[in-house]
Amino acid sequence: MNSFDFSEVLRSLPELWVGLQYTLLLVFVSLACGTVIGLLVCLGRLLGRGLLVRLCAGYTMIFRGIPDVVLMFWIYYCGPLLGGVRPSSLVAALVAMSLYVGALLSEVFRGGILAVPKGQAEAARSLGVPEFWVWTSVILPQAFRVVIPALIGVIALTVKVSGIASTIGVTELVYQANVIAGESYRYFELFTAVGLFYFMILFPMSMIAKSYERKLATRQR
Amino acid sequence: METSSAFPRGEASVAEIAPRQETSVLQRLKQSLDIGSVLLIVAVAVGIYNFIDWSQVGSLDFGIVVKFWRPLAIAAGMTIAITATAFMLGLLLGVCLAVLLELPIGPLRYLINAYIELWRNTPLIVQLFWVHFGLPVLTGISTTALQSGLIALTLQSSAYLADIARAGIQAVPKGQWDAVKALSLPARTKWLEVILPQALKIMIPPLGNLAVSFLNGSALLGVLSVGELMTVAAKISDYTSKPVEIMTVVALLYLAINLITTHLTGRLERFSGSRP
Repeated sequence: MNSFDFSEVLRSLPELWVGLQYTLLLVFVSLACGTVIGLLVCLGRLLGRGLLVRLCAGYTMIFRGIPDVVLMFWIYYCGPLLGGVRPSSLVAALVAMSLYVGALLSEVFRGGILAVPKGQAEAARSLGVPEFWVWTSVILPQAFRVVIPALIGVIALTVKVSGIASTIGVTELVYQANVIAGESYRYFELFTAVGLFYFMILFPMSMIAKSYERKLATRQR
Repeated sequence: METSSAFPRGEASVAEIAPRQETSVLQRLKQSLDIGSVLLIVAVAVGIYNFIDWSQVGSLDFGIVVKFWRPLAIAAGMTIAITATAFMLGLLLGVCLAVLLELPIGPLRYLINAYIELWRNTPLIVQLFWVHFGLPVLTGISTTALQSGLIALTLQSSAYLADIARAGIQAVPKGQWDAVKALSLPARTKWLEVILPQALKIMIPPLGNLAVSFLNGSALLGVLSVGELMTVAAKISDYTSKPVEIMTVVALLYLAINLITTHLTGRLERFSGSRP
């Protein structure tokens, strides 16, 4: 095997473009749903009592502890049990990714809120600031600043996890590359191209997160 | 708050006020949310109860899992073995890379950084396919599914662990480096007996999270049918056409392995003194 033929990659760009659209769909929808789930679980854990706290902690523990592949297959097969209808592979992947991202984000949000020193809220309250403003203008802005690197990390992880949706047959980037490579046996070229493509999305993200982390570290000193 | 306004707040010293402010924002909101949370739990439970198709749940047959317990147990062992092997090899490789990063050789540093970023910023599933189908084309050596799965997992873990090891090495107090220099210890002693033992201790907390994520990653090897838990689960569910039961049990197995791993790393942290 001496010829590397990247023209195959160029020829299959339309198919890869379809795959990319599905990848983006998976990432954005699961991030949006995951944010809602994450916020609810995080609030339940911080503000709830007794049973609710344990349920929310259990949610995080379960969905962080089950591999994404297993979760996707499980939801794919358990559709008839849960809603009466078999979900399409896209819906199953979206649900599984939302649940997973929600579990990750709930931990990120919780960590951010707990990282704000208690004295901040106490100071605001002792100055007579209403409870609403204690949260919206004292706690949450500071929490958000601490959380940004971890948030970027979760987004990057979501992009990586979206590739797993190909195992249940969602026609996203990895799936398309597999199909095309299966026909022409240009695995090396296609997966190099797809890998580089993911790298081009993920590398800037990790660089931004790293530089931001460094900035935070110097500010705290 | 008419009654409390009689209390001269502005003139009281901090020491007088501080002990009274024991209820934090969180605790106060917790008290007000008590009834709400109970109602919420009931509502969610009723919703889930109506959502589930109970006639189908009744027809589930978990006896199938008992029948196939032996292959499942072997596969679970295989999953643990693969993850542990990849983790250990990755740790070795990662620490070596992190040490090489400390050497003042410019091009080498660029190369290692590129390696780390490349493996950290691509999905594992792409790496798997790349190693399994791509490398044979490139090198002419074809690997079995197990070998390529192990290679991909090891290389990825080495990149993540190199990053952690670098942070660990840089976190070793400066006095230690100065002492090594002042005593003019040889490089071997410097790394193996002074710097690395301390760096490893600093590295332990993030290792727990990473071990769990590698275990979850190893489930992906099922794509190449390596013979670990996910592969066997897919085979049994194809054979018996009872995927729900098998997948449920497999998910619980993974969860159990992950929880045990988390617990063990927690104990390791306490044992090594990196957490009180």
